Amino acid sequence: MATLSIQSKQERTYDAIVVGSGVSGGWAAKELTEKGLRVLMLERGRQLDHITGYEYAMKAPWETKYNGRLTTEQIESHPKLSRDYPYNEMTEKYWFNDSDSLYKEVQRFDWYRPNIVGGKSIMWGRQSYRWSDLDFEANLKDGIAVDWPIRYADIAPWYSYVEKHAGISGEKLGLPQLPDGEFLPPMEMYYVEKEVRQRLEKAFPGRHMTIGRVANLSKAAEAQSGIGRGPCMYRNRCAYGCPFGAYFSTQSCTLPPAAKTGRLTLRPDSIVTEIVLDDPSQRATGVRVRDAVTMEDREYFAKILFVCASAISSTALLMNSISSRFPNGLGNDSGQLGRNLMDHHFRVGASGVWEGGLDRYYYGRRANGIYVPRYQNIGSDKRDYLRGFGYQGGASREGWQRNVAELAFGEDFKTELTKPGRWTMGLGGFGETLPYEDNRMDLDQNTRDKWGLPVVVFDAGLRDNEKKMRLDMANDAQEMLEASGLKNVTPYDKESHLGMAIHEMGTARMGRDPKTSVLNAHNQVHAVPNVFLTDGACMTSSACVNPSLTYMALTARAADFAVAELKKLNL
Amino acid sequence: MNRREAAERISLLLGGTLSVELTAGLMGQVIHPGPNVAVSVAQQALLAEVADVIIPTTDTPGAKAAGAEQFIIRVMRDCYPLQEQEAFYAGLAKLEADSQSAHGKAFADLESNAKIQLVQQTAEMNRAFFKRLKELTVTGYFTSEIGATRALAYLPVPGRFAGDVPMEKGQKTWAL
Repeated sequence: MATLSIQSKQERTYDAIVVGSGVSGGWAAKELTEKGLRVLMLERGRQLDHITGYEYAMKAPWETKYNGRLTTEQIESHPKLSRDYPYNEMTEKYWFNDSDSLYKEVQRFDWYRPNIVGGKSIMWGRQSYRWSDLDFEANLKDGIAVDWPIRYADIAPWYSYVEKHAGISGEKLGLPQLPDGEFLPPMEMYYVEKEVRQRLEKAFPGRHMTIGRVANLSKAAEAQSGIGRGPCMYRNRCAYGCPFGAYFSTQSCTLPPAAKTGRLTLRPDSIVTEIVLDDPSQRATGVRVRDAVTMEDREYFAKILFVCASAISSTALLMNSISSRFPNGLGNDSGQLGRNLMDHHFRVGASGVWEGGLDRYYYGRRANGIYVPRYQNIGSDKRDYLRGFGYQGGASREGWQRNVAELAFGEDFKTELTKPGRWTMGLGGFGETLPYEDNRMDLDQNTRDKWGLPVVVFDAGLRDNEKKMRLDMANDAQEMLEASGLKNVTPYDKESHLGMAIHEMGTARMGRDPKTSVLNAHNQVHAVPNVFLTDGACMTSSACVNPSLTYMALTARAADFAVAELKKLNL
Repeated sequence: MNRREAAERISLLLGGTLSVELTAGLMGQVIHPGPNVAVSVAQQALLAEVADVIIPTTDTPGAKAAGAEQFIIRVMRDCYPLQEQEAFYAGLAKLEADSQSAHGKAFADLESNAKIQLVQQTAEMNRAFFKRLKELTVTGYFTSEIGATRALAYLPVPGRFAGDVPMEKGQKTWAL
């Protein structure tokens, strides 16, 4: 197909191409441009300008049409996304239209695809924790899947590096299973959380409750205020985009320094369809791009590629990059591409009511909860399954939304709702999912989407290990809340399907052996050394800990390595 | 290339199979969301009256002053399938018919106590309709400008956070 404006090959050649502009892509662009490279960042979604693009960020509730509800039309056009809350009236324009590329599910998989520059860094939950050697050594110790090719010591300095720039607020605990970071001041707990913490830690030695470690600026240090970011205003409207730049997103945190170098070119609406391989040299020469709006095809060239399109999309891109050398997808000598698909399983826990504390209230809306680090299968705490889970949760005081007497109405009813209700508190588990070789995704070459690309097929689910763990996730939560003084404690299990936690991981794992993994210890495709993949696809196991901070650290580390290799003329 | 050209190009690439609706969507036009119950001015006025019994004026204005009926109508129209819209407006019609048969008057013209009594009766006899109406009224009211800023404590930009403070006398629920 003819292009409207044909640029010369030279004009379409960069030092590096970054595919994707989310958490990982943003860091790749920042690091590579700051190290002197001319970078082209390709994003399949539309442009989303910082601050001015956040349509709902400053709107009052009466300026919404449905107070968040979806319309019947949206439910029809978004049959997958409309199954859960992240897609709603206020965030709908940030998400991809399912109907444009309707993926298939042998088993249900909730795939949350953003459609904007910034990717999920705009709507993410911002919980930011370091992984530990409990996680990096787990596969080796359990004889499961393959060993991680790195240990905590390899990534620890990179955690520090990204934390200082991103700004993570939190409290130091000195726990080996949840290493401390470079924290901004912790946010305060609610009255009930403080009470529960004391009781819980006393009743269960070895278990801890802390305030969430979150990528919201409790204070803007120089690293943040220097790039135009301000402290958190405690509005709890993060997912709509923050006009104060108070939480980590690509727009607030990694794009400004990248743009400042003058070496970044960002192209939205650019779907990377294929990585192009030069057969004799076994190096990628660049990528093919289809314009999402005009459908024009174009090729771009670079010395190195950073694939950061999100776990599923990055692997889909490798799978769609077929050559005589790689008939089963780029870098797929091991046959592991698309396998070991993981996500955290959750939506299980308990909640109860705190009697009393009615003379205590709060000021501001804390976009953060509390965290109970994993304690199972540590020391003498042995369980009948491998690995474990942590809890996110928190207390709140019931508001006007609470359900008072079902048939009540009128003056007394109105007056009652205008007063704060009871304190309640809940704990929701986030559990590790093991990497199973046949939990997988693939491409259906016979079904094409709106842009002519094969659609993704998911076939992955929870197994016995996860199901056993879920029983404890509900029971332990109930036990801890009851021991901490809550009443009417009710356990729940609302079912968790893979994908729902939006912590999708695996499908192009790191490993020590090219025969059993796709990437090496530096996120480099074993067989194509100038291609790096640093998003969730690279993960060798899932831990029970939120993964985004680890993607940031791995990306910064890989970028540092890639530039050093370029200088040594190894790529 | 402008938006029309882009839409036509996509249409051609897909073999010219784009539906009229999809093309309209690409062109940024509003697509009619499907069949709806047409709500008359009289029904709207009646809804406002009933909502105002659920959330009446006290020391702060009630649902009618807040325009909660507009939220109810909008949500019913756009977020519920036709069948549920029909059931909802049938419930509303029944309430009006009950008013006529019991009092020989429109609901809007009843004395306050008679209104309350009739809503009470509806809550017991037509529970599904009442619960939906109540839920939409409560949400519509407390997210309206009047409800959020006058009946509740509205603080759009707190600027700081304190997790444990003594509750002031007369403290209202935070609106957000």
